[in-house]
Order: sequence, then structure tokens, then C-alpha cells
Amino acid sequence: MPITLPAKLGSLAVALIALIVLPHLTTGYVVYLANLMLIYIILALGLNILIGETGQFGLAHVAFYGIGIYTTAILAGRFDVPFPVAIVAGMLLAGAIGFLLGAVSFRMRDIYLALSTFAFGEAMQWVFKSWDDVTNGPNGMRIPQASMFGFRITNDHDAYYIVLAVTIVVVLATVALMRSRLGRAFRAVRESEPAALALGVNVRLTKVIAFTLSAVYAGLAGGVYASFSSFIHPDSLGFTTTILVLTMIVVGGLGSIAGAIMGALILGLIQELLRQAPSYQEIIYGVILILFMMYAPKGVAGAIKARFGRSAAK
Amino acid sequence: MDWQVIWLFLQQGVASGLVTGSIYALLAVAIVIIFKTTDAPNFAAGELFMAAAYVALYLLVFLALPFVAVVPISLGIAFIAAALFYRIVLQKIGSSAAVTVNVVIATLGLSFVLKGLVRKTGVGDVPRSFPSIFGNDTVMIGQAVLTMQDIGILVLAVLSMTIFFLFFNFTRTGRAMRAVGMNPKAAVLVGINLRRTRMLIWGLSGLLSSLAAILIAPKILMTADMGSVVILGFAAAIIGGFTSLPGAVLGGIIIGVVENLVGLFISSRAISVAPFVAIMLVLVLRPQGLLGGKVAVKKV
Repeated sequence: MPITLPAKLGSLAVALIALIVLPHLTTGYVVYLANLMLIYIILALGLNILIGETGQFGLAHVAFYGIGIYTTAILAGRFDVPFPVAIVAGMLLAGAIGFLLGAVSFRMRDIYLALSTFAFGEAMQWVFKSWDDVTNGPNGMRIPQASMFGFRITNDHDAYYIVLAVTIVVVLATVALMRSRLGRAFRAVRESEPAALALGVNVRLTKVIAFTLSAVYAGLAGGVYASFSSFIHPDSLGFTTTILVLTMIVVGGLGSIAGAIMGALILGLIQELLRQAPSYQEIIYGVILILFMMYAPKGVAGAIKARFGRSAAK
Repeated sequence: MDWQVIWLFLQQGVASGLVTGSIYALLAVAIVIIFKTTDAPNFAAGELFMAAAYVALYLLVFLALPFVAVVPISLGIAFIAAALFYRIVLQKIGSSAAVTVNVVIATLGLSFVLKGLVRKTGVGDVPRSFPSIFGNDTVMIGQAVLTMQDIGILVLAVLSMTIFFLFFNFTRTGRAMRAVGMNPKAAVLVGINLRRTRMLIWGLSGLLSSLAAILIAPKILMTADMGSVVILGFAAAIIGGFTSLPGAVLGGIIIGVVENLVGLFISSRAISVAPFVAIMLVLVLRPQGLLGGKVAVKKV
């Protein structure tokens, strides 16, 4: 049973209305959770561009997220830069460093790329932990209260609509990007580099762009996170968080925007819910990952696609 | 810093580096043999190592078994557990239009499960120490000071790696494993049972992790997070080229020595970042690692 266009638009409209009224119906914790899920969505979409669409196993995503958080917090906190400007600065810095990382590693592939970017991520976490003068080192850093376009953001409720608006813009931009020439070039590189080259795709440039864009997404996610959070600790910017985002896009379905969103929601919520049962958290999470890989190897998006025909997933 | 101090630091750094490096080498070999035959890095290697250390601790301290019994039983348990994981989980994934990333995520899942289990048993919730096998009497080699445990680690690690080398080169099963690593389709054509061979490889990898765990556990504090040591095993494997066994051993020793020298000459805070800088340098300058073959270009 293929899903028809009106059904799709209808469910989108319902989802949008639900998202808009959400903060009026629920408590602070739920709104906090919603903000966090939206951040995860931006992170997952960014990593999906690099891994899902372009097939490059970059595992330094959280490093760029951290760069976004620290840049925004430092510019806004110490230099009184307006928050939106600070967020953009964080995105640009993350993008610039992502560009450099892409430029030195475009020769590598598969496992080598995965491990060198992993090493970069670990080294960045070490920088966050050890550059005491700038990041306040292992004690973590306070993030100043944000104010944007005249609004002061004092709690999760205040931030919600801004985070939601940013996320919707990011989702729409990603959809447009994936339908563009560049989006097709990403997928061509993923499927076969020699074939892409033969079709006139500049493979190196495409890879470097994918790295840069993915870093920009993570930097944006970091900046937005800084707008509603009051504290950042370098321990939360390690490989475990990169793995969380990676599992989101794999469980959702690699190379699918809807998949990345669903994966972010499913695993983000599971993570939060499992905090209620801390002693079983790791076991349950691990078993879920293993079962997903055994029985839904193409992720949720792939499973829906197989069930409802081709129109559902992309 | 005058020359005498530098000379002393060099000797101590190289001696201690060889000891820790031989453990990294064991872990790197455990990672590389799986990568060569399954085409996926085993991200549960650290937790297999950690869980194996706890199994040995349990047998030794809680059941009060003698070392002679503890070592073979722990190695056997690790072998069976790793082989079963391959048989039950990975074989299923492998048969369903596999992508490497699915295998990777499954091993990540295993690592979460193992960590959770160790914490849940009540043995892994407080830091523990593992009794030393060879004692802590010290020996002077040149001007470097090593304990008997250090010497024991080095000797046993080298011995077991030699056995492995002989096994891979001169036995039927070992050669079958290498054939699967080179070309699985051709291996099947000459009559090698792919599944059985891969299962054995996983088992052997678990056994190696367990051996490394028993050897190094007395030197470190045991917690459920001690599996993070395996990052250095990965680093060693990368530096060596990730598909080369001699490379893995060489990489382990380089990482061990570099780590100790950085600790002595620069600062102990820089120890944790040194291996990652080494990985990035090696990969940027020589993307295939030190002893890795040329990176094969995939055909269209």
C-alpha cells in the first residue's frame, strides 16, 4: 500500500501543529527533551550528509558540535557578541576546521578515514579538556543566558520555538540540497568513485564539501544548544556521543532524511527513557542496536519502504 | 635536562614502552585478524578485553581457583563467547545484504551489553585490583627498572605472538584463515568452510583479548571502563596498516614507546593525546599505514 501525497501532507501538517502546541500542554522536562531531540535531528542530518549520502566515514562529528558550543558561548559570554552572530561564527569556524580535515583526509577511505577522523575527534576532546584559559578545562564552562532578536531566553520554553524554527529550516534546506546537483554528486561518490569521476563529478571537491557541510551542521547544532543550555562539560563531547549520532542514522536508515529524523527521535528518546533504569541502560541499548542490525538492516526508513512501497522513505 | 637524565629517561621509556607495547600489539593482532576476515573493525574489542579480565578476576578471587586453572578457563570462555557472537549475530547480519556499518553497529551493541553486564554483576561497580602473577620484585636492565610482572608480560606476549605466527603460517587451519582474509570467494572454491573459519577467527580474537587482559590487569586499576585501553590497540593497528600482522606488532611497540617517552619528556597530561596525534600523522603522510599494502582501488 503506497502512501499517497495527500496522506503525506496531512501527516506533516498534524505533526507541525502538534509541535507548535507542544509547549502549552506539557511540563518543562518534556520541552527540554523536545529541544534536545531537535538538536539531535540537526546533528543526525549533518552526519547523514557525510556518511549516509557521500559514504565517507567521518567520525569526528561531535568535535564540530563542541567547536560550535564553545565558540558561541565564548563569543557571547566574554566578548558580548550578539547570540545569532556568535552562532554563525561557530558554524563558520566548525566549517573551516571541517574543510581542513576534509582536505587532508580525502585520500583516505573506509577504515583509515574512520580511524583518522576518530583520532581527530579524540584530540579535539583533549583540547576542550586541556585548554584551561579558553574552555575552562575539565571543570566545564558556564554558558551565558542568550537573548535573540529582543527575546531573552531564560528557560527551555523560551528557546523552544527558536530551536524548532531553526530545525525546520535545516530540514527543508537539507531536502533541497539532496535534490540539487550537489546532492546527486554526493550519492554518485558514495556509489562509485570511478563512475562519478567518469561522469564529470569532481570527487575530491565533493568529498571536501561534504566534510565542510557536515561540520557546519554540527557547529549550528552546537550554537543552538548553547542558546538554551547553561553549562557544557567536555566529557559529553567524546566518542560516545559521536557513536550515538552514528547509531541514530544507521537505525533510521542511512542516506534517508526521514530516516535520520526518525533515528534521532527513536534513539534519543530511548536514551532519555533508559535513564529511568540506569542499571539496565547499557544492556537494553546494546540489545536494541544488535536486534535492529539483525532484523532491520536498512533501518526504519528501509523497513517502511519495504512495507509500503517506494514513495514512503525518501 | 642534562644528557645523563635524557639517557636514563630513554632507557626507562623504551623498556616500559616495550612492555605496554606488547599488550597493545596483542590487542592490535586481535583487531586485525577480525578486520582481515570479516571486513569490519570490531568495536567490541575493548569490552571483550574488559569482560575477560573480570571473568579471570572472578575465577581467581571469588572462586579462589589457582592460576593454572584460571588462565585456560578464562581463555576458553572468551573464545566461546566471541565465537558465539559471530555465529548468532554476525552471521545473521552477514546473510542480509550486509553493509560493513551494520556489523560495526552490532559490535558496538555488544560492547554496550558487555559493559552493562559487568556493572550489573556487582563485581564491576567498584574499582578492583588484580593480583600479580609474577610478583613485583624489581629488576634492573641497564638503568631501567622493571618488575617481574613486566618481564612476564613481555615474555608471554612475545611467546604467544610467535605461536600465532607459526599457527598462521604452518597449519592447515591457519592457512585457511589467511586464505579467507585474502579472497573469501576463492577460499570457498578451494573447499574452505567460510563460516566455520570466521567463527574460529572470532574465537581466537576473543582468546587473544583475554590473554592481554590477564597479563595487563595487575598493572592497571580494574573498572568497567578499562576497555578504553583498546583505543591504543586500534592506534597500533592503524599505524601498522590495519591488514598486516607484523605491522600490528610494530605499531603496538611504537605506540607503547612513544607513550612512555612523551610521559617522561613532555608531561603526563600529554600521554592521552599522543597516540591520536601519531595516528593522524601516520595516516596523513602514509594513508595505508607503515606496513599496509597499497590501497586497492575498487572496481566499478
